[in-house]
Amino acid sequence: MPEIRDLLDTRLKTLMYLIFISLAVLFTGLYFFQIVHADRYIRLATNNRLRLIRFSPPRGEIYDRNGVPLAVNETTFSIMGYPLDLDRQGMLLRVSELLSNHGIPMSVDDLAKTIRKQRWAPYRVIRLVPNLTMAQMAELVADPECPAQLFPLPEWRRIYPSGALAANVTGYVGEISENELKNSLPGEYVGGDLVGKGGIERYYEETLRGTAGEEAIEVDARGRKVRTLDLRPSTKGESVSLTLDMGAQKLTMELLSAHKGAVVVMDVRTGAVLVLASSPTYDNNPLAWGVSTKEWREITEDRDRPMLDRSIAGVYPPASTFKAIVALAALEEGVVTPGTTFFCSGALRLPSRAFRCWKRSGHGSVNLISALQYSCDVYFYQVGMKLGIDRLLKWVRKFGLGEPTGIDLPGEAGGNIAGPEWKKRRTKENWYQGDTINYSIGQGFLLLTPLQIARVYAAVANGGRLVTPFLVPSRAQAPVDMGIRQEKLAIVQKGLNYVVSRGTGSRAGRFGISIAGKTGTAQNSHGPDHAVFAGYAPADSPRYVAVAMIEAGEHGSSVASPIVGEVLAYILSHPAEETE
Amino acid sequence: MLVLLCWGIACIFSAASGRIGSGTEFALRQFGWAVVSCVACFSVISVGYQKFMDMAYPIYGLTLLVLFFMDVAAPTVKGAQRWLSFGVIRIQPSEFAKISLILLLSKFLSRYPPLTLATFLAGWGAGLPVIFLILGQPDLGSALVYVFIMLCVIFVAGAPLKYLCGVLLLGLSALPFAWFFLRDYQKMRLLVFLDPTRDPLGAGYNALQSRIAVGSGSFWGKGFLQGLQSKLRFLPEPHTDFIFGVYAEEFGFWGTTLLLLIFGVIFMRIVAAGMKSRDMRAKVLVSGVAAWIWFQMFENIGMSMGLMPITGITLPFFSYGGSSLLAISVALGLVSSVYISSAKRYR
Repeated sequence: MPEIRDLLDTRLKTLMYLIFISLAVLFTGLYFFQIVHADRYIRLATNNRLRLIRFSPPRGEIYDRNGVPLAVNETTFSIMGYPLDLDRQGMLLRVSELLSNHGIPMSVDDLAKTIRKQRWAPYRVIRLVPNLTMAQMAELVADPECPAQLFPLPEWRRIYPSGALAANVTGYVGEISENELKNSLPGEYVGGDLVGKGGIERYYEETLRGTAGEEAIEVDARGRKVRTLDLRPSTKGESVSLTLDMGAQKLTMELLSAHKGAVVVMDVRTGAVLVLASSPTYDNNPLAWGVSTKEWREITEDRDRPMLDRSIAGVYPPASTFKAIVALAALEEGVVTPGTTFFCSGALRLPSRAFRCWKRSGHGSVNLISALQYSCDVYFYQVGMKLGIDRLLKWVRKFGLGEPTGIDLPGEAGGNIAGPEWKKRRTKENWYQGDTINYSIGQGFLLLTPLQIARVYAAVANGGRLVTPFLVPSRAQAPVDMGIRQEKLAIVQKGLNYVVSRGTGSRAGRFGISIAGKTGTAQNSHGPDHAVFAGYAPADSPRYVAVAMIEAGEHGSSVASPIVGEVLAYILSHPAEETE
Repeated sequence: MLVLLCWGIACIFSAASGRIGSGTEFALRQFGWAVVSCVACFSVISVGYQKFMDMAYPIYGLTLLVLFFMDVAAPTVKGAQRWLSFGVIRIQPSEFAKISLILLLSKFLSRYPPLTLATFLAGWGAGLPVIFLILGQPDLGSALVYVFIMLCVIFVAGAPLKYLCGVLLLGLSALPFAWFFLRDYQKMRLLVFLDPTRDPLGAGYNALQSRIAVGSGSFWGKGFLQGLQSKLRFLPEPHTDFIFGVYAEEFGFWGTTLLLLIFGVIFMRIVAAGMKSRDMRAKVLVSGVAAWIWFQMFENIGMSMGLMPITGITLPFFSYGGSSLLAISVALGLVSSVYISSAKRYR
């Protein structure tokens, strides 16, 4: 088909011409830009007159459940400049002298470092001196020595009115680190931005942050603004209201002030956290303004570790509070009935060794309820042996222990539920019967966070539903029914009731409310025993669960239980407006 | 082999520009790709384009499979599933799919010339699956290249002009509807193309800064490695999409003119190879390759000057990116093979 071949050749030629026409178009374009208008573009390029200012958005505020502010913003002023101007010879020295004349010590090196950290492009604004008051700013800018290239910009500074009372919950903000900057999406942050570094500030960074605004301006040769080219206002971050009750939190922190430890209070039905106290604590205000290296080291190297949130990241043996799980497991697995009795002579004697009850003289004949009531160790040794470690572990896992509860805070610990496999891995030794015996009274290798213990007692109190703790209501998750029979639960609840009404935890019951709970004394190889109390109130129709863990508190009955009693009494007598 | 010679020069340019953009690491890697590409090019020549042509259908089928797999389950880089990863090397199958499409169309259209409406539509139908798969990635820029290649190929294969006009009209009338399917950033780019001052900080910023880079190159340029716009990070993505801006700034008008001349020569050789060949399939094949390089070159250089909207289309031979270099080398290998085999036949 020669005619088609000819057609194809014609078409190819046409294509060729079209291509050459397009090349000519490009050539003309290049001629136009590179020759005809070259001067204009050279001018635009060499003294690039474009400047970018970034307005950091005000962060969303953080409130407690009653609207008490936990984190708010305050206007301050920052002195800004552009690398393009600051790179000039002698400029830094001049700025440094100016600043020291006004009582702001910043050496040339400090300035250079500040600039390097925030440098992204020469025309993008840099924060030289942050956090000036209106007076300081006015004085500085009014100084005739102040270079025209520097200018003040109103900015937001974070303040935490509650300070140390809830520092572990709110967390704090700080300048973004180089690592964080590297890991963020391009354009999301620039050097010098404030980001949440801990607590709610970090967990809800996305929500609280808002979006930064930007202004593009054209400047004259001296760096002064001629006109605005483009403006995109910043939008404020969303505020967050927590489930925290600052009144109760404050009371708790006062009660805790003499101790090291943690207190958790939760709504048993939803998992809403009302109190999350950790002592000792720290003031998060200075951290948000930028602390010196020395101050930072003092906080982080403090041997009492104030920045460790003991309520969610401190792990302790649950001690006798664990007996509630063992009791439930035994009832559910059919190992014991309420009528099953064991005789406590003060110790359980096995061929290998004797395991003592805390009461040397023994409790005599005990059943499940009286064993809980008097915290009889021997009874639970027997139950533990009958259950065996595998069935015990099954129930421990059912209660979500050994992994974080999923509360909306960073840095939560999962604890350690140990078990034979873990022991083999860790010590290369087998799991002995003695390990099971220790395990069944919450000692040995078992480690839980106060929050985890609170979650267990919430499930006991609410009819066997495992809640997921949360601080921000929108995070609430539906409780998971664990399928525990109500009549079995009722037996354990009765036991816990007796603990306070006529057992080891009676001191929790002296605040005018009915409480059910369990004391615990956790053996501590490093010093005095830890005291723990887990309880809920009102005993007959539970609303709130509270756990107090006092390091070196000796006996759960003496230190921990009154704290729980007082805090629960406060919360029940100060009902919050129902938000559900 | 003038084509190859020019191509070699261009390769060296490419490596050099890679260094301008972002350091020696890029340049070295790009050099590595250049070597691989040379080898690939010569292997293609030694195999001969006829063999590839025979396998056009299976190759196309395989391509569709790979692209489909990519759409369904590929890691997402910069929000688009364009990359297939083999350890350290990541390749962009959509580049190679262009060759596959051209092969398919050359074979199909020479057997069934698009002279009647039925064959004309069948030709489009054959290519549409790959375009849809690319759009699904989603890679609008590449999809445009595909459409343009198809248009040129069908034109060269002898389609009646009224049919072609019909397709063009259809395409134009579909534009308002296409608007609804565009992503926000794509809409922004188009709006900004119409009015660059619309948003000088965001989308329009690239176009503005790129034009400043090109313009400030003036006649002699600022000299190799002296480009300010790219060095000071005024220019985004200097080693890939906006490499022409870097080049134009550093080498000036004479450099860009030279570049256009080289491209012109390459096009002449490609078309000449097609004219010389007696094989209809070869004629269609070269037109496809020419259209491919043409569109990418025109779009890339055009967007650097703000004459075309910004897309992620690379400048052939220049932009950093192994897949695109390798794919173009293979394509030129096919063209050279056409040239050689027709020369043999005449001798």
